[in-house]
Amino acid sequence: MGSEDHNKNWVGKPLPRKEENRLLRGRGKFADDIKLRDLLYLRFVRSPYAHAKMVSLDTSAAEALPGVVCALTGAEIALQTQPFIEIGPEPFAKIKDYPMAVSKVRYQGEPVAAVAAESAAIADDAAELVQVEYESLDPVVDAEQALEDKSLLHDEAGTNRVWNGVFEYGDVEKAFKDAAYVVNIDRLHFHRFSSTPLENNVVIAEWDPKDERIYYSCNNSFPSFAIQFLAAHLNVHIDRIRVETSDIGGSFGIKITSYPQMAVCALASKKAGGRPVKWVETRSEHMTSSAHGNERTFRDTQVALDKDGVITAIASRHIDDCGAYPRYEPLGCVIWSQVFPGVYRFKNARIDFIQAVTNKCPVGPNRGYSRMQHLWFLERVVDICAHELGIPSDEMRLRNYIRTEEFPYTTPNGCVYDSGNYPKMLDIAKRLIGWDEWKRKQIEARKQGRLMGIGIGTTLDSGTNNFGQSQIVNPGLPYSGNSQGANCKLDIYGEVVVAVGSCPQGQGHETTAAQVVADVLNIHPDLVTVRTGFDTERNVHTGFSGTYASQFAVSGLSAVHGAAQKLKTEMKQLGAFALRVKEDEIEFGMGAQGPELRAKNNGKCINYWGLANLVNANSAALPPELYDVTLNCRYIWRAPFKVPDKQKKYGNLTLTYASQLHIAVVEVDRETFIPRILDYVAVDDCGTVINPAIVEGQVYGATAHGIGAALMENCVYDAVGNMLTSTFSDYTPITAVNMPIVKYGHIETPSPHSYSGAKGMGEGGAAPIHTISAALQDALFDNGIVIEDSFNNADSLFRALVGKETSQAETLVKVERRV
Amino acid sequence: MAIKFGGEFEVKKTPEEVYDFLTNPQKFAPLLPDFQGMTQQDSTHFTVKVDVGISYIKGTAEVKMQLAEADRPKRAQYKGQGSVAGGNVSLTAGFDLSPVDSGTKVAWQGEATVFGRLTSVAGGLLEPLGKKNVKKLIDGLQAALQ
Repeated sequence: MGSEDHNKNWVGKPLPRKEENRLLRGRGKFADDIKLRDLLYLRFVRSPYAHAKMVSLDTSAAEALPGVVCALTGAEIALQTQPFIEIGPEPFAKIKDYPMAVSKVRYQGEPVAAVAAESAAIADDAAELVQVEYESLDPVVDAEQALEDKSLLHDEAGTNRVWNGVFEYGDVEKAFKDAAYVVNIDRLHFHRFSSTPLENNVVIAEWDPKDERIYYSCNNSFPSFAIQFLAAHLNVHIDRIRVETSDIGGSFGIKITSYPQMAVCALASKKAGGRPVKWVETRSEHMTSSAHGNERTFRDTQVALDKDGVITAIASRHIDDCGAYPRYEPLGCVIWSQVFPGVYRFKNARIDFIQAVTNKCPVGPNRGYSRMQHLWFLERVVDICAHELGIPSDEMRLRNYIRTEEFPYTTPNGCVYDSGNYPKMLDIAKRLIGWDEWKRKQIEARKQGRLMGIGIGTTLDSGTNNFGQSQIVNPGLPYSGNSQGANCKLDIYGEVVVAVGSCPQGQGHETTAAQVVADVLNIHPDLVTVRTGFDTERNVHTGFSGTYASQFAVSGLSAVHGAAQKLKTEMKQLGAFALRVKEDEIEFGMGAQGPELRAKNNGKCINYWGLANLVNANSAALPPELYDVTLNCRYIWRAPFKVPDKQKKYGNLTLTYASQLHIAVVEVDRETFIPRILDYVAVDDCGTVINPAIVEGQVYGATAHGIGAALMENCVYDAVGNMLTSTFSDYTPITAVNMPIVKYGHIETPSPHSYSGAKGMGEGGAAPIHTISAALQDALFDNGIVIEDSFNNADSLFRALVGKETSQAETLVKVERRV
Repeated sequence: MAIKFGGEFEVKKTPEEVYDFLTNPQKFAPLLPDFQGMTQQDSTHFTVKVDVGISYIKGTAEVKMQLAEADRPKRAQYKGQGSVAGGNVSLTAGFDLSPVDSGTKVAWQGEATVFGRLTSVAGGLLEPLGKKNVKKLIDGLQAALQ
């Protein structure tokens, strides 16, 4: 191997994932694979009611069943714990949230008791024996209805309106006064859906009475957040909680909020004398009571446009439904504003944002969390205005997109979009799908009475949060910035070992981290061992560690890169000593004995084992000036953020902005009303690509998730709060069979905000939901239909087209024309 | 999920006789479809057990009933609450009696609200099943009162 730069090209290669070897052969290690001596199995007893007082609860029959070790109730937990921390200010802060209902249930599926037994089957049987008497209360399943406060969920809060804030920028009044057109949209609605990871939530907890520590093996995807909640709740020092995660079969954000179940398992273990307790969530439990995505209603929207159809202002009222307990909320009340103007240039806006609790499953940060709802809203606004003003949808976007030369672009609320080229993405997408040809086919189809539409969705995937935005929703919170940790070491026998604080669930962290380190040390990625999965004992986590918010490519890999650079520096120091040359004469490469350091001029070399040996096992040979060299380098990467202005709600909230542009051709069958995708294109820009194969896989995954959400997946509740889609038969998650062939394209606009130019990606900005809504509207607009809901299936389209029950443009949209 | 039902029929008994029948759990309860047994706590409270089966979900429902309104011989109303595998049910059933030439007109109305996973697993079957069982009950009542 020659120069140090010879092999510096692993980043950017479609390297097969290192993880595949074990995962595809069934050799992954998941939480449920862990078997422990004396393990107990926990089963929850859950409320059938959405809203009810608990009149009585009797666990005696369950406890009497042979094999049952203990039972727990919410009332019992309340006596020995603190309520979970509430992120929001009052009235949020008044809510008393325990992991099981204490005296009142607030959503169907809420745990009211738990049973721990020698086997899962016994625990199941015992749970059936728990007697609970309820007194039904009026349920509130609609956020707007909840705001009337006729039936309160949390009496102590005194209202169901748990957060309210106005985000106003520019001169909204003037923009409306000067507008050539004002488009009024009465109501839009983003539906409630969730994620269906292959692996449900799993927790194993052991409250060891010998050292008074709690040991967790689980698949929570944001453990550093969970342990902060658990420590305060369980009254234990945070250092007494150990959390380990291993392979995780998908999370999509939903597993972030499994800390209540983690608490119950720990308390059950404590009650059982320290025996480990395992809880494996069933699919029905996951559907009814893990977490759903936020549902949002957009009311009284007004859009000001100039004579060319350029949007100059938007005013609207947004009502977010966070379900029964605001566990990760009210962060969603500000996170949407990371993408305040979407991909558009308007400078004046006023959004009155309200969050309400309802008798439905608590929400969690589902993929595209809080931003996708807002981006869908903006895309709806753009398409509705385009149709009303008779401007083609592609032309409408080109008139309104942030221009390429404007990057880095500061949004009205102070976010800095790092880079992008939306017109180019549109051009590529149109070319890939054959835009002109489909337009021609559409004209022909319409002549035949067919309902065919072509829709565009342009969206953003903002990655690497500035946690200072939490202070916008609660000025008292002690969070700001973002950081991630990594450790890179040369082990005793010279192995390169990297540890990260992330919890990959299919994102390929093991591979991409190895690519980064391989480039730094000029070795093959196979020579880099990456310890993925969170482990508090590795000491590489910060308060932000986990896997969420499209950030590993930036935050995680920046930490890995930093740690590798530190290691490299130490290796150079040591190599220079060992080879008796200056540090700048050292080069890294491969030799006959594996990876080595070599003196450029004299050909002397030392392999990694020799180098590691000097520090770890032959240290008497080390001069004192090298005593600080450990070859065990921890690096904490910190994002260059400032605390936002809390009053003005102004500041940079996210570091990178990946973008996605999708186009769909959709046809609604005239007889069955089933919408069918005829063609689909996804174009992605996540800056410099670390591993193209992984990025492409993420794009397909996010596209599938979005298409499922747009056409198939909906958390439907009836009027009394029964979730009617709690099984896969009813929820109908998308499968490969339902997926169209996706044509994939990408561009790279490197981010100036990350060391590598990469941007976080993977959430996908819910592009398919925007795109399919747009395509359906294009198909149906001539029939007087405006797509007002993010979920559209044959039933809703039938009701709109035939029943005239929903989506009628004449009642939803009014246009004031002043030119 | 709420299932509403109602209707009316005429029998040849007097309103007092009909009222006494309807408010006597020992006579009334066995007419419930798939009745298994009953325990009476007092004159207005009783618990009935009925077999319930929807597709693969089979079990015994235990329903606590209360005679909530008793206005002899004009009106009687029951309220009940019970549980079955996968769900709970709250129900009301009222009978308004009025004399007619040939006897008594019984106007009946009720509502059953079902809670729990049952509504998801068997939601589509619940309403027809409920209505079928209500019809059985009313047919039984009519037959017993003729």
